Amino acid sequence: MEGSIYVGTLARYLLTLAMMSLLCLGVYGLLRLGRVREETAAGYALITPWLAGFLVFTAGPILASLGLSFTSYDLFTPPKWVGLENYRWLFSDILDFWPSVKLTLAYAFLSVPLGVAGSLLVALLLSMDIRGIGAFRTIYYLPAVLPEVSVALLWRWIFNSEAGLLNVVLRPLFRMVGLRNPDWFGDPKFVLPAFVIMSIWGIFGINMVVFLAAIKNVPRVLYEAAEIDGAGPLAKFWSVTFPQISPVVLLQVIMGIIGALQIFTVAMFARPTSAAGRFMNQLVYERGFLQLKMGEASAIAWVLFVIILALTLLVFRSSTAWVYYEAEVRK
Amino acid sequence: MRHQAMSRVKTQHSPGATAARILRSLGIHALLLAGATIMLAPFAWMISTSLKDYSEVFTVPIRWIPSRLVWSNYVDAWNEAPFARYFFNSAFVATVTTIGQLVFSALAAYAFATMNFFGREVIFTLFLGTMMIPDQMTLVPNYVLLFRLNWIDTYYALIVPWLGSVFSIFLMRQFFQTIPKELYDAAQIDGCSRFGYLWRVMVPLSRPVFITCGLFTFIGSWNAFLWPLIVTNTDRMRTIQVGLSTFMQEHGTVPTLLMAASTMAIMPVVIGFFFVQRQFIQGIARTGLKS
Repeated sequence: MEGSIYVGTLARYLLTLAMMSLLCLGVYGLLRLGRVREETAAGYALITPWLAGFLVFTAGPILASLGLSFTSYDLFTPPKWVGLENYRWLFSDILDFWPSVKLTLAYAFLSVPLGVAGSLLVALLLSMDIRGIGAFRTIYYLPAVLPEVSVALLWRWIFNSEAGLLNVVLRPLFRMVGLRNPDWFGDPKFVLPAFVIMSIWGIFGINMVVFLAAIKNVPRVLYEAAEIDGAGPLAKFWSVTFPQISPVVLLQVIMGIIGALQIFTVAMFARPTSAAGRFMNQLVYERGFLQLKMGEASAIAWVLFVIILALTLLVFRSSTAWVYYEAEVRK
Repeated sequence: MRHQAMSRVKTQHSPGATAARILRSLGIHALLLAGATIMLAPFAWMISTSLKDYSEVFTVPIRWIPSRLVWSNYVDAWNEAPFARYFFNSAFVATVTTIGQLVFSALAAYAFATMNFFGREVIFTLFLGTMMIPDQMTLVPNYVLLFRLNWIDTYYALIVPWLGSVFSIFLMRQFFQTIPKELYDAAQIDGCSRFGYLWRVMVPLSRPVFITCGLFTFIGSWNAFLWPLIVTNTDRMRTIQVGLSTFMQEHGTVPTLLMAASTMAIMPVVIGFFFVQRQFIQGIARTGLKS
């Protein structure tokens, strides 16, 4: 019984594929009929499937979400135009909205610099030529592919206030400062540190792999020249390694900011109480998909987008001061 | 490589330098070991918890090795939720997404890389610009669209929106551009069509980039959470990641079962990783921008 569903689905997919090919041929034929150059017709025919998907699932929705943010919409009745009402309501919401903006920004400001510096340090260690480094690299790469969900589930248990690994290990330390088992996701004081601790663990994984690749690409000649000038390890790092990999650092900072501001999965699993604060993306999910307030959800998404854009531009602006592009100096 | 060897020979002349080198390497090893411990401790704890009897979970100090290995936790977890279905859904969705994305991306990248057509630069720039736009901008409208299409809780919803990928097209285009144009001219003289050239020359020459894109797409699709979470609402369609989250809501208070389920979900990825590790790392090194 069940099997026939899959066969049917598969058949439909093959049919879709065939239709797509027909669509491509159709575009080609039409353009040729209109006496368009052969190369142009072929080009458009080939990008048609992708372009259709792009317009329907990316470009269209971006505009639609802006439009929706000015409406009140619950999926079942047609959207009602409310102008700036959603935004006005958000900006006056001191219970949920502002605390979530604060928490999300604070999280990004703490976790991004720590994460980038940390993964750079780990990458530097792994770039050393010593025996057995291959085995270490393999182990250190592993977190790059692990599903966020399983890891988030694991974190939830690690932060358990009664028997979690973290509280048990840190108990002596807590005793010294007169704390009793912090309730990480229930207590407003601990929610931010908890998420920052989790993010620090993220220094292993994909960012580190990218840094390692960048460090390996630095020409050895530069180090030798620096050695001749009597540079120590620290001087070598600041005047050779860092300038050489600074474009990658910039990229990582930007990707880090975008990622941190969009934090969702781990937060969903940790389930911080509303008193402890939630992240902006959690609010988008709650408003949109639990309470079916699509207009409000879109408005929050747009505010988040504007924040991401502003911070990204700010980092780009600052980059002229610390990012080194070889081509620029040469001219 | 050669420079390295030379500098090594140089340092080996003085015994003091050798000692310093050994000491340095010992220090780095110690640091790396410490890092590996911090990184792996959570997983050791996960596996340890998953094999404990419930009564032993809350004992302090921590018992890393359970006094009795309770394998039945895995059986219980497996029976508590349709994990086989979840795994199948994830595998099916990831496979179809990967194949579809490779096909569509290759076609588009081929056009962008080798053909001169009106509007090409404009379209390509516009499309790169959308890389900057965060996913949740499109979340609500896409959901509304699929809701209208009656696609919620179907494989379409899980697969179709992900068939186009900025990342794959960009990567393939970069690679296709490095293939000399003379090859195309030669193929054309031999009577090869545009499509034949893509299929018989470009694709075989670009195997590494296809492997990279395929791997990233598959892993991304397998690990995806937010989108599958909002577009599925029955166990029939849930992927393993979403299934795990509903499992948590139902059995959140039983750490042994939760950790057994989590271990089951992680294991295929870990095993897969050791097989494709080399290609994966080379892929990241090649692109430097996946996140």
